[in-house]
Amino acid sequence: MNALPDNPILTPTSTAAVEIQGVTFSYGSSSPTLKDIRLDIRKNEVTAFIGPSGCGKSTLLRCLNRMNDEIPGARITKGEILIEGTNIYDPSVDVVKLRRNVGMVFQKSNPFPTSIYDNVAFGPRAIGIRNKQQIDEIVENALRGSALWDEVKDRLHESAYGLSGGQQQRLCIARTCAIDPEIILMDEPCSALDPIATARVERLILELREKYTIIIVTHNMQQAARVSDRTAFFYLGDLVEYDQTKRIFSNPAQRRTEDYITGRFG
Amino acid sequence: MPTHHILHEFDNAIEALRTDTLLMASLARQNLERAMKSLLERDIELSRRVIADDTEVDELELKIDQEGMDILVRFHPMATDLRLVITSMKMAHNLERISDHAVNIAKRSKKICKTMPLEEVSLSEPLYTLADNLLHDAIASYSDSNGELGESLKARDKELDQLHKQLVATLSGRIEGANERTENLLHLIFVVRSIERIGDLAVNIGEDSVFLDEARDIRHTSRQPKTLSPD
Repeated sequence: MNALPDNPILTPTSTAAVEIQGVTFSYGSSSPTLKDIRLDIRKNEVTAFIGPSGCGKSTLLRCLNRMNDEIPGARITKGEILIEGTNIYDPSVDVVKLRRNVGMVFQKSNPFPTSIYDNVAFGPRAIGIRNKQQIDEIVENALRGSALWDEVKDRLHESAYGLSGGQQQRLCIARTCAIDPEIILMDEPCSALDPIATARVERLILELREKYTIIIVTHNMQQAARVSDRTAFFYLGDLVEYDQTKRIFSNPAQRRTEDYITGRFG
Repeated sequence: MPTHHILHEFDNAIEALRTDTLLMASLARQNLERAMKSLLERDIELSRRVIADDTEVDELELKIDQEGMDILVRFHPMATDLRLVITSMKMAHNLERISDHAVNIAKRSKKICKTMPLEEVSLSEPLYTLADNLLHDAIASYSDSNGELGESLKARDKELDQLHKQLVATLSGRIEGANERTENLLHLIFVVRSIERIGDLAVNIGEDSVFLDEARDIRHTSRQPKTLSPD
């Protein structure tokens, strides 16, 4: 077999967008959900987190914009997460600003009960942009960037609920992009979509990679293979293997990874 | 496979693919053995059987390709499983060509056997033994997923190439002044050419077995084996 280092950590580089340094996370008094996780996520790449349910991949994703702060008792008990060199769990960090910088797209599309336009304009308005022309530009750019503009430009002021599931998900991506984050987190963004809508979102992910760092949690291994540059495999709170996606899906170094991706798990 | 797939259907499909590939390998090798026996023992009936049995090998090639396609479409195999499907389909192609060479040998054998005995046919036997050993080990490298054995075939094929070269020189030398034996000597040169090609095809199978076992592509590399890693 090809020689690979035992330690699955990617060698730190200057292009790391996120540095996860020995993070252990627990939901209250129970045993840790994440155990001493160490990995660097590179800028302008798509990184996929895969693993069976309960392995901790979504928990780790939600650590990256402190979404777990809202859960009583949940906390990082050890380690640090650095974004652009700053420990995002430092008391001085403004969580609202952090979430502007680290946007999130959820499993189920969750448009606001307002117009398509207002959905995208919500973020820019919330951060204090009042100029109508400027907001118009942001909305158009975000919708174009999310490959939705041509489909909605003639009905911007109609309800977002009138869009299909796939369009709603792309609207949520546009809403995230409208506040110009550095990093976009995606938690199973296509799990509720049909194959065509999924393909459109995947194409969008590949296009957005030029501008953003994307981290995606997915149960669909073909999707991870299609869209990601690197893949991290988690099992029972451990990071088992982290490598180039091509390597993970063609010749993983760890037996547990091989068993999982070939369907021989459990 | 070390552990079972969650879907029994997948294990069954993979097992069927492997079984058919090994069946095709044994048929191709048997065709070669019979073609050579027909030549060495002047058995025209046996050469006819080789020509007829090639159809079964051709059908297995189509079946293996179809099984491989079905597995790709239905199960989207990854890692070792994906390599097994790819390797089996490529091996089937190489085995089909090996059986075609066995047919070529059988056809030449038929022609040679219809005339006076040609003493030079026995010169082809050591070459055949080398090629058959290579083929045996190529098949074993696939069935046992033994990359080390697969990789060793390339070096061993050089001995076969050398012997082939000597044999062609010997047979060519005897053509001059051979009169009525000339045509049969030419047939024999084509026979040894087929045997030499079978050695090459066995090497191909060995290279694919390295890919199966280690995900390393050693084709067209004489010095530095290439790994899959694009870094």
